[in-house]
Amino acid sequence: MRISLNWLADYVSLEATAEEITHAVTFLGFEVEGVTSAGAPRLDQVVVGEVLARDKHPNADKLSVCQVDIGPAGGVKTIVCGAQNYKVGDRVPVALPGAVLPGNFTIKQSKIRGQLSDGMMCSRRELGMGDDHEGLLILADRPELGRPINDVLPAGDTILDIEITPNRPDCLSHLGIARELAAWFGKALKYPEIHHPTIAALPPGGAAAQTGFPPASSPVSLSVSVTAPADCPLYIAVAITGVTIAPSPPWLQDRLKAVGLRPVNNVVDVTNFVLLERGQPLHAFDASKLAGGRIVVRRAANGETITTLDGREHKLDDRMLVVADASRPAVVAGIMGGVDSGVGPGTRDIVLECAVFDPLSVRRTSRSLGLSSDSSYRFERGVDSRMAPEAAARALDLIVQLAGGRVAGPVHVVGGEAPSRREIALTPAFVRERLGFDIPDADMKAALESLELRIVREETHAGTGPSWTVSIPSWRDDLDRPIDLVEEILRLHGTEKIPPGRVSAPGLVGEDDPVVRFNRAAAAYLVGHDFNECVNTTLRSAHETAKWVSETAAQELALSNPFAEDQSHLRPTLIMGLLENLRLNQSRGVPASRLCEVGRIFIEHNGQNFECASAAFVIGDDGARRWLQRAPADFYEAKHHVAALAACAGVSLGDAPLDSIPGPYFGWQEGHSALAGDMDRGWYARFGLLNLGIVRDLGVAGAVHAGIFAILPERLQSAAARRRYSDFSLFPPALRDIALVVDAAEPAAAVGAALARAARKAVGGAFALESVSVFDVYRGPNLPEGRKSLAYSLVFRAADRTLTDEEVNAAFGRLQEDLLRSTTFQIRK
Amino acid sequence: MQDALNAILAKAAAEFPALASRPEFEAAKARFVGPNGELTAVLKRMGSVPKEERPAAGRMVNEAKARLQAVLDASLARIEAAAEAARLGPAVDPTLPSPDPGPGKYHPLTLVREEMCRIMHKVGFSVADGPEVETEFYCFDALNTPPEHTARDPQDTFYFPPSARFGNVARKNPGEKYLLRTHTSSVQIRTMLKGPPPIRIVSPGRAYRRDTTDATHSACFHQLECLSVDRNVTVRDLKALIDHVFSSLLGPDTKIRFRPHYFGYTEPSFEVDLSARHLPKVNKEWIEIGGCGMVDPSVFASVGYDPAVWTGYAFGMGLERLAMLLYAVDDIRYFYQNDLRFLGQFS
Repeated sequence: MRISLNWLADYVSLEATAEEITHAVTFLGFEVEGVTSAGAPRLDQVVVGEVLARDKHPNADKLSVCQVDIGPAGGVKTIVCGAQNYKVGDRVPVALPGAVLPGNFTIKQSKIRGQLSDGMMCSRRELGMGDDHEGLLILADRPELGRPINDVLPAGDTILDIEITPNRPDCLSHLGIARELAAWFGKALKYPEIHHPTIAALPPGGAAAQTGFPPASSPVSLSVSVTAPADCPLYIAVAITGVTIAPSPPWLQDRLKAVGLRPVNNVVDVTNFVLLERGQPLHAFDASKLAGGRIVVRRAANGETITTLDGREHKLDDRMLVVADASRPAVVAGIMGGVDSGVGPGTRDIVLECAVFDPLSVRRTSRSLGLSSDSSYRFERGVDSRMAPEAAARALDLIVQLAGGRVAGPVHVVGGEAPSRREIALTPAFVRERLGFDIPDADMKAALESLELRIVREETHAGTGPSWTVSIPSWRDDLDRPIDLVEEILRLHGTEKIPPGRVSAPGLVGEDDPVVRFNRAAAAYLVGHDFNECVNTTLRSAHETAKWVSETAAQELALSNPFAEDQSHLRPTLIMGLLENLRLNQSRGVPASRLCEVGRIFIEHNGQNFECASAAFVIGDDGARRWLQRAPADFYEAKHHVAALAACAGVSLGDAPLDSIPGPYFGWQEGHSALAGDMDRGWYARFGLLNLGIVRDLGVAGAVHAGIFAILPERLQSAAARRRYSDFSLFPPALRDIALVVDAAEPAAAVGAALARAARKAVGGAFALESVSVFDVYRGPNLPEGRKSLAYSLVFRAADRTLTDEEVNAAFGRLQEDLLRSTTFQIRK
Repeated sequence: MQDALNAILAKAAAEFPALASRPEFEAAKARFVGPNGELTAVLKRMGSVPKEERPAAGRMVNEAKARLQAVLDASLARIEAAAEAARLGPAVDPTLPSPDPGPGKYHPLTLVREEMCRIMHKVGFSVADGPEVETEFYCFDALNTPPEHTARDPQDTFYFPPSARFGNVARKNPGEKYLLRTHTSSVQIRTMLKGPPPIRIVSPGRAYRRDTTDATHSACFHQLECLSVDRNVTVRDLKALIDHVFSSLLGPDTKIRFRPHYFGYTEPSFEVDLSARHLPKVNKEWIEIGGCGMVDPSVFASVGYDPAVWTGYAFGMGLERLAMLLYAVDDIRYFYQNDLRFLGQFS
């Protein structure tokens, strides 16, 4: 909201500079978003002059020596000037010796490059009227010579653009801000005097409806009814007859212009003025345009229309409140009037509306019509109904004063609340306890009183100090509890004065969350393995999502109200983002190959989404040529990293069956990628070669290997059981190799497991099979079609002795016989 | 005999240094000390030496053997060294670059997050985490943000359709709508519901607002919040914590000020400004960096803490904003584009 300091001065004499006031507003809790100056400040010894002659300065190229006429009293002065934008005959502001310009710049008679100068001709900036320093301020309408410049220029003012927090609708007005500043500076607040007898006599918040036909003597017939009282808790209407619509006087126009409003006419300007003075929106109707002399505050009928003052036509529905006459809506209640019910040049009789509308109703209507105004802004935040009669009276005063006319008929009041007194009990001890430092009782009291938070009772109990009962004014709906008053006291004490303290740090209360530890470990592993960590947005496009999950899963991941089309779905994998990062770098000619990300993904499983912690990487071809060639990334490198990521979560990849991805599968290349785990286990892994088509379609060059590990956060919570040491033998091992010819589709792990089983059986309990590891895989000549050879190394060891060749050979023999008997494997000699 | 030995030694001394390979060496060695070798032949003649001359002859032979062995050893060492050198190839050029990728770099948001977590660790805060998909209770109701509050409007907050089910994000009340959390304060609620005070947590994480993406706004962004709940926690304690955080982060010259503000979940509430003229691209005296306040009693009530017993403070800030300030980055979108020329600059 824009606040004019000149306007504020009507209510409080702050005796402070604009800087001091800006600072005060800031520390009262209102952010000052902008400070602008308008008009000229008070300037003595600055008058209107006319340039009679302009000659080049004998000793300076860029200066001129001018003869300037400042009228009969001052005569003609010689002034040296550096500006270029004027000519002989122009009238300009002239600062005479003794003048003090903004910035404390005192004008003296002086010699400039040897030439006497009797003053200074001024630019806008030199007069404190903005930043324009393009040259002299040329007074185009040629005011009388010698007149004080303040008579000619608009009065100086400073406008603060202030953001009012939603808890303080009372400060959406000059009076509200003046009240706060008066409290800050310790000055008295002067409320404008209100003369109008009719409203002044209204019972405060009088609930009696005074509708009905006016006395016969009144030329204005008016009846008021409210059929939606929940949406309109208070409606006051007053008819004024015999007004003369004319432009407002300059003081009122200046007030409105200063805060960016366009003056319209005396009546409309008064309603705006009162809104900006008190935060109470008002509306003036042309009484002759109210069909049937009726005002009905009602919900609109579905399909009813209104064309508002801004020229837009709106289709209304039955959730929207309107102020209607006998036939049609005249105003979208609390938001904006219609084009044809307003006050215009020919208006003679008016009806002034001063109402309070429900915040939610106004907000809903404002949003659905895309229509807002200074009025709706205030109603949405809450208008104090108990102060409405006073605002109406203030407006009546001003209208009668500026537009003439007289109040006709009764004041119609529908609704309104009985006055209530809210009180909060507060002890200074509580304030100190919450602040952690001392403010004297007297200062606390003064702070409260200055905000009109009156201490109505004070009791003193032995030992506990005083306790206060604080009465809360109607406009401070935000104050309910003692802690709310602590804030008021602290605000006025000044938050800048909170004394420094020491952080009490009694040691960690808990451990870092397991998800945090997983994220950290995964990122450390990946970055340690030369991956660059990326951060991608969680929200992805439908198109992108469909490449990675089924249609049903994509549906589950969709937001109901996306903002942008390309950010409509939760990401089901981190890899889509990483591929996009590869593409971006490639397109910018930046070599990129190893990228990783750690973050949340969302996995659909049996119709439910699961939010998972996750880590992923991609390895692409960065296209860079190198003097020494390395083997390119392959499936098994991806597997290695995924296993390490699983280990970061305490999961062993081997704990779940590992399947190569069989057919076309989202994102992955058939036959060159694998998956393990699922949401039933609480984790999953996918890794290998990314689908060549998807990668190509994205515009990423080269093959991309990737891997992702995801786990339910709750799966990370279970602490691993503490491991126990198991004994190991200090005797030497015995090694035997065996090559098995098996079906080409047979997984090596299955063959290895069968081999290990047979080996354990062959060894019996005599000694141990320590390990089985595959060391060669062969396909090709010498083998039948559709078969492959897998060579394994077996390590045997005994706990208590060095094994002899005989016993190992015997066991190895039994193993081979068993394999031939019980499996389809052939032993390759 | 001596002459014969001398001749053998002279011959060996001439032959062995010229040998280039192990097989040549073995062949040459056989010519001297093999079964038919020249030295072997001399030794075989020892039997014919008169008995009284044998000790002297023995000494001569032993001496010759030792000298020959030295020649052999030297030759073998030389040949093996040459073979090893040949295996190793030419000397490396240490100035050639490694063909391997790397080193990997952390994202700047991670760096800033971890630095903040370390700073908070020092004063007893542990790191908490919670879901990014939240329900209305944890994100709004429990934080004193009533249903009619504008922050809950679908214009500002991302919601999921009523049919959406999140298997591992528990709803507090049946029928609550799922949404993307608008702040990480929901983690505070989940933490407080888990157990009684004292609580000292810092919760970094993603948050979401339905907003246009531009140089300073992103629909998906990162926040870091902290919460302390204990007996007798005061406004002064809060100020002391914020002072600690920023002087740790930006140096002891950093000044902090509180401006009164309004948040539904704290009372009193403050915006935090910092003065750090020593940072690059900072041309204002005070920069707003976060919001904080004393936990509102209604928040305690919603998690079952007795506001008469427990007090606390909360502080929150945007990580992107902090990173932008620390690294003088002027466009938030850089954090999400992941251009390696950007990512490589920070660790």
